[in-house]
Amino acid sequence: MVELNDVSVTYSSGVDALEHVSLKINDGDFAFVVGASGAGKSTLIKLLLKEIEATSGTVTVNGYQLNRLKKKKIPELRRTIGIVFQDFRLISSMTVYENIAFVLRVIDAPKKLIKKRVPYVMGLVGLQDKANSYPHELSGGEMQRVAIARALVNDPQLIIADEPTGNIDPELSYEIVDLLKTINRQGTTILMVTHEHDLVRRFGGRIISITAGQIDFDEIMEGTDI
Amino acid sequence: MKLSGVHYLIEQGIENLWKNRMMSFASFCVLLVSLLLVGTSVLAYQNIASIVGGVESQNEIIIYMIDGTDAESLNQTGNQIRHLPNIADVRFYSKEEEYLALKERMAEYDVLFDALGDDNPLVDSFRVKVQDISQMSRTISQIQELDNILKINAPYEFVSFLTQLRTILTWVMCALIGAMVIVSMVIISNTTRTSVYSRREEIHIMKYVGATDAFIRFPFFIEGMITGFFAGCGALVITWLVYDALVKILENQVTLLNIIGIGSIIHFNAVYLYAAAAYLLGGALIGALGSVFSIRRYINV
Repeated sequence: MVELNDVSVTYSSGVDALEHVSLKINDGDFAFVVGASGAGKSTLIKLLLKEIEATSGTVTVNGYQLNRLKKKKIPELRRTIGIVFQDFRLISSMTVYENIAFVLRVIDAPKKLIKKRVPYVMGLVGLQDKANSYPHELSGGEMQRVAIARALVNDPQLIIADEPTGNIDPELSYEIVDLLKTINRQGTTILMVTHEHDLVRRFGGRIISITAGQIDFDEIMEGTDI
Repeated sequence: MKLSGVHYLIEQGIENLWKNRMMSFASFCVLLVSLLLVGTSVLAYQNIASIVGGVESQNEIIIYMIDGTDAESLNQTGNQIRHLPNIADVRFYSKEEEYLALKERMAEYDVLFDALGDDNPLVDSFRVKVQDISQMSRTISQIQELDNILKINAPYEFVSFLTQLRTILTWVMCALIGAMVIVSMVIISNTTRTSVYSRREEIHIMKYVGATDAFIRFPFFIEGMITGFFAGCGALVITWLVYDALVKILENQVTLLNIIGIGSIIHFNAVYLYAAAAYLLGGALIGALGSVFSIRRYINV
């Protein structure tokens, strides 16, 4: 669950990135966050990952009160969140399998679990045949699916996808959103940031629009393709 | 953390070493040169200090006693000198012994001694060696306080020259070593920074998926330590070979050895344990710390 209560973020440069934002995303929800560049979408993500602090207001993510969360506890918070980036951010020197297993190793998961869980999520995203490929041998869509598998592998409560379709072909974009929807149906909360209105119109669902640091629209819309 | 976790991290460190072999090799070279510079400076300083020390130890204070002082008083004065601070060695030379020795040395002038007959013109004396030559003048003034002393002879000028030389040398070497350590640290931390920079993506991702700082640092720590250790090994071998060769050349220079004293050159055998410990530990430590310090910048995501 994500809850923002009257949150404002003012950067040291004096820029107000978010102004009095209140927002609640329940467990199991799927929400699109839309808005022009500079509207405050990235600030919102950074806030949820506790990369930055709210200047005022309170932020709660998966039961963690971020205002009170000690620096030492940040890794613990981040283990409950999966993140997918626009530019994939796979480690180029590691195979697909290693890129995914890496997340479990980082959180000191037992070897047995790694051996079981990694092939399973690779199957979920349809990449079981690419286990030994390196990122540069994959297409954009495949790389993003690896990134989604990576976000999924430690069974997080929330997945934040930051423009996950920004760097891939439009047809493949639908596949990616479909994949996220499938994951959502199994109970994972998903927050997908995008500026592709086509995609949002097509899939519908909850749409949160941010303009100039404020939420100007937060409603559920019917999709054109369901 | 589980043992399998530690094992994985060590493996990662070694793997990174190979994956980033160009950067690792650069770090290795920089460390090797830095260690060599510092190591040879220290060895050079030790040798110079030993040579100066050898010359110093040959200097003594001669205390002439008033003629006719009885044996008991002489004994007392000897004990008083022995109990002063900064005294290394005190030897008594009786005027009879000295007279005989003098006669022997000047055997061709026996006519002179015949003329003197039983009249011994010499006086009893003490020869004193001090521990710290720079404190010699204080020791002399303390000796002057004692009874029955006729005159004190001491190599004042030479001593003050040696003391100054030693002080200057110590400062120059300290400054040199300090500067080299700083330069080494800066270069090493820059080299590691480049290697860390080339892996900043990896570090960012680790942060995002919830790796602890310790987990991120550990492989870099291992990597730096191994690089440093091998640089230490290299420096040790090079120093050993070059130093031994230099000592052999010096030992063939008879004239030079006569001036500086044969025992003043330190053989590598005498210091190799210290050298090995300093090189290996120093290398591993500088390597590990250099890595850990330069990673700090990237860890705050």
